Amino acid sequence: MEYLAHLTLNCGIFIILAVSLNLINGMAGQFSLGHAGFWAIGAYTGAAFSVFSPLPIPDWMNLFIGCGIGGISASIAGILIGIPCLRLRGDYLAIATLGFSEIIRLLIVNMDVVGGPRGFTNIPKWANLGWVYLWVVITILFISNLMKGTHGRAIISIREDEIAAESIGINTFKYKLMAFVIGSGFAGVAGALFAYSQQFIHPNGFNFLWSVIILLMIILGGLGSITGAVIGAVILTLLPEVLRLMGETISQWRMVIYSLLLIMLMLWRPQGLFGKKELNLSALLGRKKS
Amino acid sequence: MSAPILHANNITMKFGGLVAVDQLNLKVFKNDLVGIIGPNGAGKTTVFNMITGIYTPSDGEIILEKRNINTERPYAISQLGISRTFQNIRLFKDLSVIDNIRLAGHQGLTYSAMSSIIRSKSFKTAEKKLTEEAIDLLKIFKLENKKDFLAKNLPYGEQRRLEIARALATGPQLLLLDEPAAGMNPNETNELSELIGWLRDYFKIAILLIEHDMGLVMNVCERIYVLDYGKLIAHGTPGEIQNNPKVIEAYLGTEVD
Ligand SMILES: Nc1ncnc2c1ncn2[C@@H]1O[C@H](COP(=O)(O)OP(=O)(O)OP(=O)(O)O)[C@@H](O)[C@H]1O
Ligand SMILES: [Mg+2]
Repeated sequence: MEYLAHLTLNCGIFIILAVSLNLINGMAGQFSLGHAGFWAIGAYTGAAFSVFSPLPIPDWMNLFIGCGIGGISASIAGILIGIPCLRLRGDYLAIATLGFSEIIRLLIVNMDVVGGPRGFTNIPKWANLGWVYLWVVITILFISNLMKGTHGRAIISIREDEIAAESIGINTFKYKLMAFVIGSGFAGVAGALFAYSQQFIHPNGFNFLWSVIILLMIILGGLGSITGAVIGAVILTLLPEVLRLMGETISQWRMVIYSLLLIMLMLWRPQGLFGKKELNLSALLGRKKS
Repeated sequence: MSAPILHANNITMKFGGLVAVDQLNLKVFKNDLVGIIGPNGAGKTTVFNMITGIYTPSDGEIILEKRNINTERPYAISQLGISRTFQNIRLFKDLSVIDNIRLAGHQGLTYSAMSSIIRSKSFKTAEKKLTEEAIDLLKIFKLENKKDFLAKNLPYGEQRRLEIARALATGPQLLLLDEPAAGMNPNETNELSELIGWLRDYFKIAILLIEHDMGLVMNVCERIYVLDYGKLIAHGTPGEIQNNPKVIEAYLGTEVD
């Protein structure tokens, strides 16, 4: 039972990470590979707050402040990284953001106050399943509402055609930065939640492979689809566990099986499971009625 | 005569050793309907790309109402009132027809990103207004019954019309059209000729257009600039241009006798 709860909680954290990366990569079309870096910043700043200076208020209030601190720190990092890097295109942006996330990790390894290479321990358990999923809902509502307004459409127009977007007066740099900062902010929130639920974080838990896995989640679900990001996050969080249940040998071949599944998906459905579409509850229900 | 709204003063554009546009002088006045013609590769599109900030001229200056806009970014130039279409249509293909238009209404944005996240009242009223204005514009272009189609699913002629509508939705004072009739059948081209003149009067804007269809150019333009190998070889009314020996030579090639 505890195992299931733990898995569900991890799904929630990865949903926040995937939905927020999807805003940057899927909606704005900016190829960021640094999401694990923002996740780490949120986790470590959130953890530092909880260990060194928690306020004398109920845990759930501290939790919200901690998530705020994690999110805002990651957003500030997003601004600092975004301003120089978002002028780069495609592969260059990917390399720059990847480099940034590794630098963050190395900085943490060398910071003794937060445990350095030994990891950060004794973090209070402020988060549980309920709080994590409350944040999942906040993240999804925040981003999907943003996308339905003019600002969100401006973000999508960059992915569609940057030159055309500029030609109708859209400051594409501003909107790239907006997507990047909001996306990294929510990765920071996911980090704080991660720290408050695991109670232990380690710099290796945020290496660049995680950025790749979060990217795979949104590619699997369909770049540009929030629904797809949610489904992709759930599938890739559960898949290793399912493989583990299938036995020792299969579990060892996990990464190979991952790659094969992805290759098959890309051949069968290159746009990902959902394409750019969203699951629309009211439309689904409406269709059933008629 | 009053001052021009746009004045390209001796602008030059070099790409490495190639001089794509060579010391061009061009003026557009209020309510003007001006054409640019010339053989393939003459530098016409490059002129548009300089005016709209995609390229910065290697030399010379572009003055928009007394202000040098050489180094302004494209979005800023659009906000200053110059809007355009592209030779190879650049619509937001995977967005609906109406979203293509609503995006262009972005400049009048009156609410913050936060308002859209919390669905505030200012968000709702502004979006409603934006949608109504977009529908009014689509009606003019006879596209309102296709407002929910994805732009890529429109037939070619309608994509061209939608791109013009999108450019107009930014509320420009000067509209640049790069080969608006390309790929249209004679019927559509005729309709377009009428539409262009009508748009100029209705929206009270100036229009500068590049076109290979001589019928259309001679029909709608009041003044014409002729480019050849980046150089201005003639400038005048359609009548003057049609009888200009330099122009005839540029189009037919040097006569061998
Ligand atoms: N970005 C660029 N880099 C290098 N050369 C360019 C660039 N843009 C245009 N050119 C060159 O400049 C010249 C003028 O091109 P331009 O597109 O302006 O011609 P055009 O008059 O619009 O022709 P067409 O009627 O075929 O559209 C061409 O020789 C073209 O190859
Ligand atoms: Mg051209």
